[in-house]
Amino acid sequence: MTTDHDVDTMLTIGAPVPDLVRRPDPIDLFTFSAASWLLHRIHYDLPFTTDHDGHPGLLVQGPLQGTYMIQSVQWWLGPDARLRSIAYRHSSPVYAGETLTCGGTITGIDSVEETFDVELWVKTNDGTITTSGTATFAIPPEQIPTEKS
Amino acid sequence: MADPTVPATVITDEARDWATQPFDQYVTTVSRTDIARFARAIGETNAVYYDAEAARAAGHPDVVAPVYFPYTIRMQATHLVDRADLEPDGSSSADVPPLPTNRAMAGETTIDLGVPIHAGDTITLNKRIVELYEKTGRSGTLVFVKTEFVFTNQDGEQVMREHFTRIYR
Repeated sequence: MTTDHDVDTMLTIGAPVPDLVRRPDPIDLFTFSAASWLLHRIHYDLPFTTDHDGHPGLLVQGPLQGTYMIQSVQWWLGPDARLRSIAYRHSSPVYAGETLTCGGTITGIDSVEETFDVELWVKTNDGTITTSGTATFAIPPEQIPTEKS
Repeated sequence: MADPTVPATVITDEARDWATQPFDQYVTTVSRTDIARFARAIGETNAVYYDAEAARAAGHPDVVAPVYFPYTIRMQATHLVDRADLEPDGSSSADVPPLPTNRAMAGETTIDLGVPIHAGDTITLNKRIVELYEKTGRSGTLVFVKTEFVFTNQDGEQVMREHFTRIYR
């Protein structure tokens, strides 16, 4: 069986989630707002955002950053690494055009439940953490060690 | 002059009534287009989100939704409304509690996933305010509004439960 994903990857405690770099621009913000019917002007109306709310740029949606954290795992291990749960909070605003790096660390493996736990974060180029949290994903079937005869 | 031994509260009876009101259920049927639109918006390229044949080959009955797709349903529930029911900043009037401030920031999000959503599913959203409380610190009073969203499919299976806290200051 072939797969787009690295079947040789061993999930081990302490292993890093490979960095995922995203640079959401105004089109990304607009399409996310449109697809979600998220109408808050701070994501697409630059004069309103700067003049009324005093921000230097359009604000990247919090749920989009949450999605990036989920993708940092699923684009590494494939969609069979199904999310079971996630909790995250935002600590600093992100503006359109900023480069974001998403990464994390595996903190636990449950071979009975066939899940693993990760700490995940999103940060800007200057190292500021903008969103962070913890999540539990299903271990993809090809990652589960099989009994060898 | 206000009694300094009694902490000032910004959560009025009106705000408590708002928080305990029952919200209408929101029911929507998810189309392949709805899923494709969200999947494109977040940059997904996997065919399971766009192509029913590819999704079936991966064991799904139809195209599958990205995990955080239910977010679009809870936003529609309060924002796919008459233009008169939107605030000047574009947010939904139904989401704004009666507080002295409408300056809001996002607090914690917690999500528990159930079964996946596939195109053709009919999803019911039940929403309630689970916590309304305030904390006063050096920078003033913050009000926390924690909302629970439970998404269920046509077979009664839970697809997602989300808690989202919005902080007003």
